Amino acid sequence: MSKPKPAPLPSGTVVGGYQVIKKLAAGGFGVVYLAEDSERHLVALKEYLPSSLAERSPGELTPRVKPEKQPLYRLGLKSFFEEGRSLAQISHSSVVSVLNFFRENETVYMVMNYLQGDTLQDFIVTARDLKRDKVFRESTIRSLFDEILRGLRIVHQHKMLHLDIKPANIFITNDNKAVLLDFGAAREVLSKEGNFIRPMYTPGFAAPEMYRRDGTLGPWTDIYAIGACIYACMQGYPPNDAPQRIEKDRLALSLSRLRNVYSDNLIEVTEWCMSLDPLSRPQSVFALQKELARETERRYTKLSFSERLKLQLENLTSAKA
Amino acid sequence: MTMRFSVYQVSRKGGREKNEDRMGYCYTRDSGLFALADGMGGHPEGEVASQLALQTLAAMFQRDSKPTLADPLRFLHEAIIAGHHQLLRYATQKSLIDTPRTTVVACVLQGKAAYWAHCGDSRLYLVRGDKLIARTRDHSYSELQETLSQVVPMGERFNRNVLFTCLGSPGKPVVDTVGPLLLQPRDRLLLCSDGLWGTVSDASITDQLAHHPISDAVPELVEQALRNGGPKCDNVSVIAMEWESADDSKGPGISTQTLGEEVFASTIQASVMGQDVPDELDDAEIERSIKEINEAIRRSSQKKN
Repeated sequence: MSKPKPAPLPSGTVVGGYQVIKKLAAGGFGVVYLAEDSERHLVALKEYLPSSLAERSPGELTPRVKPEKQPLYRLGLKSFFEEGRSLAQISHSSVVSVLNFFRENETVYMVMNYLQGDTLQDFIVTARDLKRDKVFRESTIRSLFDEILRGLRIVHQHKMLHLDIKPANIFITNDNKAVLLDFGAAREVLSKEGNFIRPMYTPGFAAPEMYRRDGTLGPWTDIYAIGACIYACMQGYPPNDAPQRIEKDRLALSLSRLRNVYSDNLIEVTEWCMSLDPLSRPQSVFALQKELARETERRYTKLSFSERLKLQLENLTSAKA
Repeated sequence: MTMRFSVYQVSRKGGREKNEDRMGYCYTRDSGLFALADGMGGHPEGEVASQLALQTLAAMFQRDSKPTLADPLRFLHEAIIAGHHQLLRYATQKSLIDTPRTTVVACVLQGKAAYWAHCGDSRLYLVRGDKLIARTRDHSYSELQETLSQVVPMGERFNRNVLFTCLGSPGKPVVDTVGPLLLQPRDRLLLCSDGLWGTVSDASITDQLAHHPISDAVPELVEQALRNGGPKCDNVSVIAMEWESADDSKGPGISTQTLGEEVFASTIQASVMGQDVPDELDDAEIERSIKEINEAIRRSSQKKN
């Protein structure tokens, strides 16, 4: 018995001086709208509306929250504020910027820059469908992640973790800037509440500690996700998820397919970021940035005969499965 | 004798796991109480200690201010000691091996005067014009030493964090009281935990209070403390008020003029003793959060341009 999701605000509604044009996305935490400010600039408007706690019938403006759900609703609100507070302090071109924050309809709204472009996910899908041996060029990957890491470094400096870095949350604007979207700080707090049973992570990009209740999250958790994103940019597909890897880790093997296509160094960095043991990963964004920026001569190592044989066997067994 | 004042408060957790600072204010038509307590680490339930101390102050203020306190200094002294006894009782009730401890600083505004008292190293600053008029002396060995060293030479320096008195300690707490001090319009009073003064100098605190409205000065000071405190920054709490003349009815602050004799307003939550303080937002806090976020947005967009 699934509860109907709260209805989004209808197009044309005006909240806090912003007119809603259409719904862009809806998550567990709320709804994001495309809206227009009084000077007709486009903005993204994020409404706090946790789908498991609030109800709203189509056409209504004010969400209803049952009394027994009030404490959790308020707790979530606090996290929403934390996200706003942190984003407000960050002024960096690689992090989506917050323009305004206001209260209306007995909930709160965060106004953000509306970005035009496509997500990295869209780019990966388009590129892999071209079926070339390289999804992206190595120099593209390095400069793209250098930009993303600059933003992430600022985020970590503000004692915030993103916790949901994935190609769908990395935006490439039409003027070629990479911007981190959708901050997960709020999710982190809420997931501590037993009442939420829904995936808080994206398989393939979530570090193993995200799956554990007692897992210590830190910059290394975001770094795992960065590694997984680099993997996806090389391979065209996300890596196996962490529980699968713990069962049987094929990461080294699937990365070996990329040898001689991408440099040894880039492959090693990816594997380093994606270590199952959090302590074996780069412990800070800075450490990773330094490694990625190392512009020494790239070495490429071809697969040896026995390695090729192993890969072929692997292909056969996975085809059977 | 009604009053006008504006008040602004911010408390941040810093790099700590919990925020053990508590603060708040309450007022009747003719008297106001402002208080801040910093629950101590190294002992159990610091946040309960600070909360209990404040609740005791607020409850006694509500009882005794009808609508003025007969003797504000005596009230402050008694209410702080009462808070101490509450802590001892709480520890006994819950059979704790050690008593929760806290510092406290409290200020009463009544008539045209301020009265204050403190125990521990939470501080009060009073700024008039651009001058620091008064500041409490910490009950720490280091400040004691500075005082005594004028008289007798003493040995090595003490850690500023070591206090010789606080609420909840085995001995009777030392409470210093000051007042009455006649206020002038635009005088600013600030109460803070050591999270602020530990990393922000008296000169900076005075300067901010002197040159900016408290609604700007308080968040800015807290930001400075968080920046200076780094990743392991202590809890930082600041509550400041500006005294406005009673006839300046256009000001932005709170006027008690419209309150009846029986009215009592408080931001300090009175919860049953020992109960967990619900970690919820009230409306005032929601408004404050939104204001703070917009302040931060304004500041970072200024930086950008």
